[in-house]
Amino acid sequence: MKANTTREWDARIERALEGRLRADELAALQAEVVRDAAVRAAYAERVWLHATLRAERERLPQWLETVEPATVAPVRRWVFATMAMAAAACVLLGWNLFRLGRAPRAEIVATLVQTQNARWAGSTLPTAENAPLGRGTLALVEGMATLKFASGATLTLEAPTRLEILSAMHCRLIEGSVTAEVPESAHGFRVDTSDLKVVDLGTRFGVTAGSAGNSHVFVFEGEVTLSDGKSGELRHLGEGKSFHVDAQPGVVGTEPARFQLEQVADGWTQIPTSFGRGKDGYARRGNLQSVGPQALLMVKHSELERSRKNERRAFLTFDLSKVRPRDLTEVELVLDPEPSGLGFSAMVPDSRFAVYGVTDEVLDQWSEAGLRWENMPASDDTGLNPAQVTKLAEFSLGRGASGSPLTIKGEAFAAFLRSDTNGLVTFIIVRETGETDPSGLVHAFASKEHPSARPPTLRVR
Amino acid sequence: MNPTPPDAGDHGETFLRTLAEHERWLAAYVYSLVTRTADVDDILQECKIVLWRQFARFQAGTNFRAWARTIALHQILNYRRAEQRRPESPHEREFIEAVAGEIERCSEQFDRKAEGLRHCLRKLPEAHRAIMLSRYYEERGVEQIAAQSDRTVEAVYRLLSRIRKVLNDCISRQLATGPSAAR
Repeated sequence: MKANTTREWDARIERALEGRLRADELAALQAEVVRDAAVRAAYAERVWLHATLRAERERLPQWLETVEPATVAPVRRWVFATMAMAAAACVLLGWNLFRLGRAPRAEIVATLVQTQNARWAGSTLPTAENAPLGRGTLALVEGMATLKFASGATLTLEAPTRLEILSAMHCRLIEGSVTAEVPESAHGFRVDTSDLKVVDLGTRFGVTAGSAGNSHVFVFEGEVTLSDGKSGELRHLGEGKSFHVDAQPGVVGTEPARFQLEQVADGWTQIPTSFGRGKDGYARRGNLQSVGPQALLMVKHSELERSRKNERRAFLTFDLSKVRPRDLTEVELVLDPEPSGLGFSAMVPDSRFAVYGVTDEVLDQWSEAGLRWENMPASDDTGLNPAQVTKLAEFSLGRGASGSPLTIKGEAFAAFLRSDTNGLVTFIIVRETGETDPSGLVHAFASKEHPSARPPTLRVR
Repeated sequence: MNPTPPDAGDHGETFLRTLAEHERWLAAYVYSLVTRTADVDDILQECKIVLWRQFARFQAGTNFRAWARTIALHQILNYRRAEQRRPESPHEREFIEAVAGEIERCSEQFDRKAEGLRHCLRKLPEAHRAIMLSRYYEERGVEQIAAQSDRTVEAVYRLLSRIRKVLNDCISRQLATGPSAAR
């Protein structure tokens, strides 16, 4: 009898490990673990094995001695999750202590010397000020942080940024923006991105890497050498010069994150642009062709002659067919800011944006694949057409602004949705503030094509 | 900016070395008590900050793991409160404390078992090793593995469960025959 019961609990424990128990079954199991020593021992033994395998993830290919499958290192999905429902599926990148049998390397490579309004996500390194840092990753979600490397190089991270520290002379920018100041002692200091290697020759420079894999280098002072990750071609970049690598085609726009219409607590319904006939896109003044589906919706405004061609506006259309617009009383627009890989936020002061609603419903029929500067809905080269739009809200992004999703509210949103008659609503996002430097930031928000971040979402009730 | 932070000398180096040595163990401990990966990451990070801040109080030569366990458990229980998460069950707190107590009771045994794990993983048949790689290295869920390997979800779940049982039995046998066999 006893054995049978234990076996039943064993099966439940196994299901619990895989998250396959109903809430009531889980509650019963947890109560039994508290009550019964034998079940407790069985649970501890099994959960220990499961947890150890998870914690030893990086060493498993060696331990299992299998050839690594062709699809190793699945794209790490990193959601800058602060919204309770955006359950971040993040994984520790680990310390890369791959070599077995050797004592782990643990020398201090850098020190976290200063932080400003910093908030961190799961980093493998301690993130207190003055904390010594070995090899490992840091994930800065908000604010700024400065690292001083043992080589003398100083690196300032602007959120959202993920950085892997490899040695006192070498780090890898997984995504985000860093600026480096490199004294003579650290000449040769290197920053890699997925598509660039930047070697410093004694300077001050900045590197950004977009979450969708495009990199940008800007030299403020001195000189750097860089090599294109694909061609391996070496080039020098002098003071005031910049270099940009476009995202590899195929990386973006291939696999839209499939967020669907979602009912959440308290009567809210979430409608992402990926739902139904929803769409999102942006247009850039300098592009004759449509940019097509992109992981990022880019927005920029500049009156400087040199960067006029970089003006960008974003367009979002949501499908309201599953809600009754007439009954809505509260409406919020949620956007997830992402590093664009273009420009440094240090170069733009706090930026102000505006959200417009397109009132002429015929214009809801714009095509995502064909969106160009010449055929933007309700706007042209001179600006938005006041007869076809209504301003709904403004919002700001601060310097070094966060990567957490923004919620934009306003009474005007609900009124705008209530006046809808065709089941589609279109918004235009523009930046109202310009910039003082042509290398200023292009702001970006995740689109529905983004592999990991939250697509633009309308929350209604 | 402070060019020579006061704490980054020998003290910092000892801390880093100690942390590196026990890092995977610490992660496994937290994974044992917390199911959501995102929560684990946050807790581990908070935990490392506290370990670093209080490292001066840790007495060299005493049991680092016992000390770290106390701090980690505190972080886990605190995290749940701070996040105001709805508990998974009415007994969640007692449950976490009970499991933590059991792990502490078995800590030496678990440490020795960890040594046998590698050996036992290697003895798994090829097909099972591939499943383990999918589940724990590629971090695929049961549903994904099912889709990828053309099995039903239930079949994958049972297979995983069986492999873990085989592993647990093998490790227990290793433990009985002594550590030399684990090489």
